[in-house]
Amino acid sequence: MLEVNGMENTVYIRMRNRVQVKSNDTVFLRDVAQIISRDNLHEKLECLPVHKVTTKDNNIIIIDVMMVIRLISKAFPTVDIQAIGPPQTIIEVMIKRKSVSIPLFILVWFLLFVGSAITIMNFHEDVSMQAVQQRIYTIITGKQEWKPLLFQIPYSFGLGLGMILFFNHFFKKRINEEPSPLEVEMFNYQQSLDQYVILKENKESVRRLDDD
Amino acid sequence: MTINILLVFLVGLAGGLAVGAGFVAFLVVLGVIPRLTQLTKTMHLVHLYEWSVVFGAIAGTFGSLQDPIFSAPGVIAIPIGLAAGIFVGMLAAGLTEALNVFPILAKRVRIEERIVILIMAIVIGKIAGSLFQWMYFVDL
Repeated sequence: MLEVNGMENTVYIRMRNRVQVKSNDTVFLRDVAQIISRDNLHEKLECLPVHKVTTKDNNIIIIDVMMVIRLISKAFPTVDIQAIGPPQTIIEVMIKRKSVSIPLFILVWFLLFVGSAITIMNFHEDVSMQAVQQRIYTIITGKQEWKPLLFQIPYSFGLGLGMILFFNHFFKKRINEEPSPLEVEMFNYQQSLDQYVILKENKESVRRLDDD
Repeated sequence: MTINILLVFLVGLAGGLAVGAGFVAFLVVLGVIPRLTQLTKTMHLVHLYEWSVVFGAIAGTFGSLQDPIFSAPGVIAIPIGLAAGIFVGMLAAGLTEALNVFPILAKRVRIEERIVILIMAIVIGKIAGSLFQWMYFVDL
């Protein structure tokens, strides 16, 4: 009998991974977590305010599941709360995004362009690419050539083609639908950043001796 | 005399072993072969690609030691040059990726959506730098 009652009052919550809010928003429970509960409880739970974003907050706020449980059990002392999944939600406060300035973008573009041109020339000099190409040309045709352009021009375009193939991007068009190494890399980087802020911004997760 | 020959044989073998292992390790770290199998959906043929790399390395060694001459028409140099370029391009891309250049750059400059344009800067830069070098720079 008791068990049946307990079951009826069980609330399952699962914290979302990452949530974006605007500054001065109030964050409700439905924003930070998925909830399963009895129907008559559900709406009240969803509208439970969890956090009010103020100007004092950083642009990253961590909502720990412990805090959410404390909140729910304060409002509904009889429910049994089961937390599933990630133990915290990262709230990203979207401060009005400055759009990228075009001159800065052009500068970065130019920097990368010149940089990669110089890098490839240095690489070629470093590995005596020209001597190797002259020799390959001689092996193929039997002719001596100081500038074997018949080999070198396709080689140069192949360079770019190889990079595009590797990154799986032909401008916006995909060659196949799997995520490119770059996207996986961006994802991994974001994961590491999240991991960092979870530990760094969550006051509860680290306890230090000097508490000032 | 026999000992000398044996010793030279051993030194040559050891050198080849070290260079070969290093070459393969380099390819593995940069992930060129996995990327190619992923693009062409031929994961099951990957051991054949390994042999292609091995035979390529042996052919290159033979070419650089023996100076064979095939007297083929110059047009043959075009596909070989293109293949060489694609391979080096993939190596360069793999290296860029291994060094985590783009994720950090995109975060810093806040242009996740326009990152393709930045990649194109590097791609076009590589092509332009290479063409410039072969057509003008070598004559200076």
